[in-house]
Amino acid sequence: MSFEPTQPMIETFNLVKRFGTKTAVDDVSFSVNAGEIFGFLGPNGAGKTTTIKMIVGLLQPSSGSVRVSGYDIQSQSLQAKAASGYVPDEPNLYAKLTGRELLRFVGDLYGVERGQVERRIDELLRLFDLSQAADDTIDSYSHGMQQKTAIATALVHDPKVLVLDEPTVGLDPKSARLIKDILRQMAERGSAIFLSTHILEIAERMCDRIGIIYQGRLIAMGTMDELRHHGQAESSLEDIFLGLTGGAEYAEIAEVLG
Amino acid sequence: MNLALSRQPFWPYVWLLLRLRVQIMVRDFLRAKRGRKIGMIVLALVIVGIIGFAFFASWWLLGFLNSPELAEITGDLDVLLASIPVLIMSAAFLGILFTSFGVLLQVLYLSKDMDFLLAAPVPIRAVFVAKLLQAILPNLGFISILALPVLFGLGLSQGYNWLYYPLVIVLLCALSLAAAGISSLLVIGIVRLFSARRVAEILGFLGAIMTMICSQSGQLARFNDMNADQAQAFVSLASRYNTPWLPLAWAGRGLVALGMREWSGALLNLGLTLALSVLIFTVALITAERLYYTGWASMQTVPTRKKQTRKRSAANGTARPSGAARLAGRFIPAAVTALMVKDYYVLRRDLRNLSQLITPLIFGVIYTFILLREPQSIYGRNEMPEFIAAAVKNLSLYINVGMSLFVSWLLVARLGGMAFAQEGKSFWILKTAPLRVSQLVLAKFAVAFLPGLLLGWVFLVALAILQQAALSVLWFTAPAVALIIAGNTGIQLTFGITGANLDWSDPRQMMRGSASCLSSIVSIAFLPVAFSLFFLPPLGAAVLGIPEWIGQVVGLLLGGAFSLACTIVPLSLVSKRVLLLGEAS
Repeated sequence: MSFEPTQPMIETFNLVKRFGTKTAVDDVSFSVNAGEIFGFLGPNGAGKTTTIKMIVGLLQPSSGSVRVSGYDIQSQSLQAKAASGYVPDEPNLYAKLTGRELLRFVGDLYGVERGQVERRIDELLRLFDLSQAADDTIDSYSHGMQQKTAIATALVHDPKVLVLDEPTVGLDPKSARLIKDILRQMAERGSAIFLSTHILEIAERMCDRIGIIYQGRLIAMGTMDELRHHGQAESSLEDIFLGLTGGAEYAEIAEVLG
Repeated sequence: MNLALSRQPFWPYVWLLLRLRVQIMVRDFLRAKRGRKIGMIVLALVIVGIIGFAFFASWWLLGFLNSPELAEITGDLDVLLASIPVLIMSAAFLGILFTSFGVLLQVLYLSKDMDFLLAAPVPIRAVFVAKLLQAILPNLGFISILALPVLFGLGLSQGYNWLYYPLVIVLLCALSLAAAGISSLLVIGIVRLFSARRVAEILGFLGAIMTMICSQSGQLARFNDMNADQAQAFVSLASRYNTPWLPLAWAGRGLVALGMREWSGALLNLGLTLALSVLIFTVALITAERLYYTGWASMQTVPTRKKQTRKRSAANGTARPSGAARLAGRFIPAAVTALMVKDYYVLRRDLRNLSQLITPLIFGVIYTFILLREPQSIYGRNEMPEFIAAAVKNLSLYINVGMSLFVSWLLVARLGGMAFAQEGKSFWILKTAPLRVSQLVLAKFAVAFLPGLLLGWVFLVALAILQQAALSVLWFTAPAVALIIAGNTGIQLTFGITGANLDWSDPRQMMRGSASCLSSIVSIAFLPVAFSLFFLPPLGAAVLGIPEWIGQVVGLLLGGAFSLACTIVPLSLVSKRVLLLGEAS
């Protein structure tokens, strides 16, 4: 291993994002180290996607700052973006490009040398089982294929930081497993993985540390053991999550409806 | 399909679905901004005014055609008058047949509520009928606005029986249902063979091109030269169409017979028309019930079938780039080239974009043809004094420049205006990439400017060759055209990014607000100013007896400075705006 495990690759400092009078993200600070998989959890509308968009430079924070691979995302955006890869929650890709053309385009945007990018494209297409459809336009892909293509675009330049927003939505079990294996391998090679998901089982099994955001505020963060300690009696991540975000009372309603 | 459900009375469900649509429309109106509400009310009043005017104009004009004084000059026009309902009802049928095809394709296969409706316990027949009515009502309304005033005006001018008026409305509705029924069968059949989305794209492309050709082909017609024989031939053609052997003529013939109280002819023609319409609609309904669901369902299960397989180009794989590409690669960053290539693919492959890009070519070809066919329409018909004619002849050297600029302006307006907006929901790919703002702006400028320049120069040279003009003037006109197009591109990019809507799903929604309107106004104001700065100095030099090349150099300096300023200043504004693009989402 040539990486320093305590080297922070993603750092947010008192991050705030306001949309008009609504505060979507409120004073969020955390860091993700090299070689670490960080799970970011929260109910719908808690501020997960907004936080992610600020980390990858899609949104400017109202206040606070983000550093990616040691570079400030606002003032050193080129270096920060060059080090990161991003998979959005919705795979909105150029519908009229083929999968191969899209990957080559992204490779050129990230300045990957042409020969290297072609080898990488072939590898990724094979890995994600997209070789057969590589020369079809993306509008003919199923949602799962588009999701896999989006993940492949994030990996073309072999990023040191990977940010994924609900990466397993729409994927079949085989592809979901593949993603999990890739993320684990990348972490072992020293990349920092920041992952938001609603599937608590994935977070529990895969993530080294977990952060829970609720109503824009980071209400808990730590390893599973630390969270268990925080939640006292609760043992599973689901219990901890529902205990923190106030969803436990819905179990009674569900029982009545059932 | 649940057979018990298919036997359910379906009209209550049709009513339920249509009522929902009306509720949405009413709610949209009530929630609209005040300005939009006022605009809609004004539009409705204007439409009522047009209907009223058309009604009274038809009444008076058709009454005039019936006058004995006119008959003395033109001969009996009763045959022509009797053909009017035949022509109008046929046109209404064919109009709805063609226009409803595209609308039905959208509502039956591409609307997002189909998943919900087909999963709900609603008879498929009800969904189909509701969608059919939803598709034809706007078209029927539009055709009624055009047809009813004329048909009612004809009825009054001819003193037709009162039964004629309600039957006009009944027949229009029946023919519309029959036309939409046939159209729906065509849609259902075609969608089983081709992808609905692709058919919609091709249809949009052909529709836009045909509309453009039809709207501009009037420029080529020589109505001034129409003689009495040709007019007579037209009347005769209209009368010959009014034949009992043509089913499309039955509705019109029946209406005329009813109006003239010829009961047996009216009963036969109207009965046949109504029976045939009901038969077609019923067949469409039954067939649709069998085919629509399976066709729609199969569309959901085979989304990955190959639609457009692209061959790997020579540049793929590890093939070495060509010499020109290597040379370009030294000066142009790879990211800029990649953006240009990507835009080229997207524009070329999306037929909805392609139709907008071909429009300038159609304009250019038509107006060039007019220019070459009738130069006197532009230069005059030798009726002006000699010294003005000489000046105009001198000016005519630069008419080609105006034509080239006009054609390239149309192209640049599309390419520059939509340059950023066309990224749409995929803009995140650019925004998260380590891409310099200057590289993005440069690529977008090049994508809009280079095709505009190429088109402008091709027209410039082609017109000069066709008019056998001296090509030596190109040393002056070619850079002038290039600089003016550059300025125009800068302006279009600036307004384009201001009004860019990245959330579009239909390309017609790429721009929001008044940005595209403002960009047209500013660029139209820019063109004559830049044109004058380039071309008034050489014209002035010719008038003052100074060598023309001195005037041309002065023109290049003045016009060049102005055009460059209009290129650079807007691009710096664009660069600032790029950072904020997509922030709202």
